Amino acid sequence: MYGWIWRHLPGPLYLRIVEAVVLTVGIIALLMFVVFPWAEPKLPFNHVTTQ
Amino acid sequence: MPPRPRPVDPPTEVIPRVEDDYDDDYYDDDDYYDEEEAKPTPPPDSTARKVVRGVGEALITMGLVVLLFVVYEVYVTDLLSAEKQQEATAALDSEWSSNVVTPPPSDPNRQAKTTLIEGKAFAKMYIPVFGNDWKFSVVEGTTDKHLEIGPGHYKDTAQPGESGNFAIAGHRVGKGAPFNDLDLLQSCNAIVVQTQTQWFVYRVLPMSNEVAGWAANARSKEAACTGVAPLSTTLGDAYAKTVGQEIVVPTQGEVIAPIPHQVNTAVPADKQARLLTLTTCHPRFSDRQRLIVHAIETKSYPVADGFVPPEMTEG
Repeated sequence: MYGWIWRHLPGPLYLRIVEAVVLTVGIIALLMFVVFPWAEPKLPFNHVTTQ
Repeated sequence: MPPRPRPVDPPTEVIPRVEDDYDDDYYDDDDYYDEEEAKPTPPPDSTARKVVRGVGEALITMGLVVLLFVVYEVYVTDLLSAEKQQEATAALDSEWSSNVVTPPPSDPNRQAKTTLIEGKAFAKMYIPVFGNDWKFSVVEGTTDKHLEIGPGHYKDTAQPGESGNFAIAGHRVGKGAPFNDLDLLQSCNAIVVQTQTQWFVYRVLPMSNEVAGWAANARSKEAACTGVAPLSTTLGDAYAKTVGQEIVVPTQGEVIAPIPHQVNTAVPADKQARLLTLTTCHPRFSDRQRLIVHAIETKSYPVADGFVPPEMTEG
């Protein structure tokens, strides 16, 4: 998977490194600001009220 | 004297130079590893090889995502909530400073009930034993959205200083974790609530193991414990189950009833104690149970410029 992505990044080496960093940061941001906030209330960690 | 014959030197044997496999340049050669690795031609990627590698990489990725979730839950939500808490506090401050404060009525506890707006902060809360930087603005409502801002007041429970049970929920992990250390509160610790017009000092009730020998307990003689006694001795059996700290299952909503654990008994409001109840999750990082802290109002002061209740410096 990672090898496949690396081989499919266009451009010379330095450009590929930049692209890889941008891709990683983008995925982390997507997880932090979209996926985790959506998933968090569904998980049994942090419910503090009584019913 | 004839010269002594010199011993004949054996002819020097020339040994062929041994090929030095390990000359120093050998390891300094940057290209060495590259060449070595390039030499054996990698075996062609078989399907099995690809599948195993794919599965391995997927597992590593999932592990990283889980780790990232922990970072999110414990640190990132703190940052997001800190901002919301700050906004709520700023809104509260500007509201308090812009409104003309009506002087508190003669009986400070008989104030008019204010209308609370969901999601808006209406009071500030301090726990001096947690340090003087422990302060949170309490918002109305206990949905996830409200609790991201700060501790949330259960709708339909009493307001600060009212008879009944002023109940607040707060996160224990992440989202500012206001109630992270709630388990460390001991009997008689002060919890101070400030509204626009009044300060209310609540004190944690004696713990279940302190109830029996409270009168003989040295702690009950301390100044901080003035006005604190097991409620069963001062207010009767209805309050027998109301102690400083309890751990209940999430469905036990009766802990925030006007008289905790007494949902069906009708007691007139003027016979009810003025309680404060804090709820959070328990054990930490789990929501299997709820940690409940009950406190009783022991003092109140009108808000005045420059006045800070002496209880604020305890701790």
